[in-house]
Amino acid sequence: MKDLQNFKKIVVLTLFVFLITNNSEAHEKKGSCSNHETFSFFCDLCGCSTSSGSFGFGTLSNANFVGVRYIYQNFESKNGIFENSPISKESFNTYQLWAQIPINNSFYVSANLPYQDLTRNFNNVKENINGIGDASLIGWYKLPFYKKQDENTVDFNNEKIASGHSLQFGLGVKLPTGKFEQRLSDNVNPGFQVGTGSVDGIFSLGYNYGGNMYGVNTLISYYLKGENKNNYQFGNQLSYSVNVFRAFSTQKMNIMPFVGISGDVYNEIEQYGETLKDTDGTIVNASFGSELAIEKFIFGASYTLPLSQSLFGDNVESKQRISVYVNFAL
Amino acid sequence: MKTLKFTFALLLCATIFACSSDDDSAEALIGQTGPLTLKFDNGVGDQDFIFGTTYNKSNNESFQLTNLKYIISNVRVKDSNGNTFMYPVEDNAFIISEANGNNAGEIYLTLDNVTAANYTEVTFGVGIDQERFALGAEGQGDFLDEASDEGMMWSWASGYKFIRLDGTFSTTSVTNEPLNVHMGSVGSSLDNYREVTLTFPNTVIVRQDTSPEVHIKADIAKVFDGATTANFADGYDQVHVDEVETPIIANNINGMFSVHHVHNN
Repeated sequence: MKDLQNFKKIVVLTLFVFLITNNSEAHEKKGSCSNHETFSFFCDLCGCSTSSGSFGFGTLSNANFVGVRYIYQNFESKNGIFENSPISKESFNTYQLWAQIPINNSFYVSANLPYQDLTRNFNNVKENINGIGDASLIGWYKLPFYKKQDENTVDFNNEKIASGHSLQFGLGVKLPTGKFEQRLSDNVNPGFQVGTGSVDGIFSLGYNYGGNMYGVNTLISYYLKGENKNNYQFGNQLSYSVNVFRAFSTQKMNIMPFVGISGDVYNEIEQYGETLKDTDGTIVNASFGSELAIEKFIFGASYTLPLSQSLFGDNVESKQRISVYVNFAL
Repeated sequence: MKTLKFTFALLLCATIFACSSDDDSAEALIGQTGPLTLKFDNGVGDQDFIFGTTYNKSNNESFQLTNLKYIISNVRVKDSNGNTFMYPVEDNAFIISEANGNNAGEIYLTLDNVTAANYTEVTFGVGIDQERFALGAEGQGDFLDEASDEGMMWSWASGYKFIRLDGTFSTTSVTNEPLNVHMGSVGSSLDNYREVTLTFPNTVIVRQDTSPEVHIKADIAKVFDGATTANFADGYDQVHVDEVETPIIANNINGMFSVHHVHNN
């Protein structure tokens, strides 16, 4: 046990030290955007169920930050088994504390703590659930690529030149900090939950390119869902996204409009070890938005519209997502 | 580090063992009972059934209804070990009336004190079997009054109406003529009682602390366009005690039920 305690202490200490020492590097502006990081986040709608790991792209412009993000999503769900069954409308408000904290040049950690405020309107009766959602923590390893050196030239400064290309490997966990309510699992939209009640594994691979004018962020994530204490297990989820942005820099600010495609593939939900029918789905979204960086503040907004979808036996329809955030670069 | 590894290994073992411990073993379930709800949901094809809506059928005919009721009885469920739980016979007759549906048009039939088990299929009869009818008026208990109140009886001698559809119909030659399908066994001379067995798409887990629901879809279109096509133009606009017509309707109704899904809560 002593080993474990020491280990903990070391981790905390290391984190703390790097927080301080890396401070200067994080907000250094090199050209327009050499520090672009992709963000993988997470289960914006509680359960990673209808929402999205594909909702990644908080931050185009800065590597490390602490910030707040607001996400609005709405859905329409069929309440019944017939073609003309009545529709309920769900609107999901998510308020997130999120951060990306560097550990050293190669490693960083991203964290997310949401507060969920979900409303369902059926036959003019409103049902609201709210509370702390499921927190996520992902550790990342960044592998940058460098320009090839000419073998004939003598390298005086002995420093490799970044090519702008990099890969990120992420390994994370989603914790059941939000409450899962069994009674709600009867709803047509299984995402109407503050939390999944499960511990989930998150595996991510990202590729980024940031040039002087243009940049590309891609991310693919797999969510391995655990079973909760109600013997309910959300389906594993694959999320992907590609965003392309352009950077316009002035002395005072940096503006980066972007467009992107993202999507999610959900496996079927299992309960008591049995697969539940019509609980899988796919969705492909188009997004556009922009980021604005002024000194240490980064303001962002994006709008996401589904291009094609088939969620939960076509009984649930995602309408749109809006996201705004303010981050403070570390 | 070695201590750490051992700790993890031990933890892993403990977790695995903890997970595999079966607290649903047969012994633990002895004496345990729980509720089981059958939700009947009437539709016409893929459309929800709504009073007053015109539905098309074959032969260019259409109908709309103001009354839609049927009797369900002898409900029993079979568990994964092949054991059957029969709901107490004296309480085992129900009237499913569309008029009693909730705002989603679902009619709840709740069985209380069902033996705790993992159930895989349900069997029920549509109507009243000869055995129950043979118990005489006294033997029907409260159900006789209930059926009378709901208009599901002829005289006692003729017995119960197993299904009752009232409304209007149209064909290529007539419009909005009265439609009345009152099908039953007609005393003991003609037995139109039929049973249907439906397999659950997922195991239905009945426990003291659960309240599972089985969502049963009843496709009213099948009453006329079932195993045998029954056209209004051929006399199926008025079905009462006919020896030829009523068994055809009874057989058609037998095929109108399906389990859409189950909820385990």
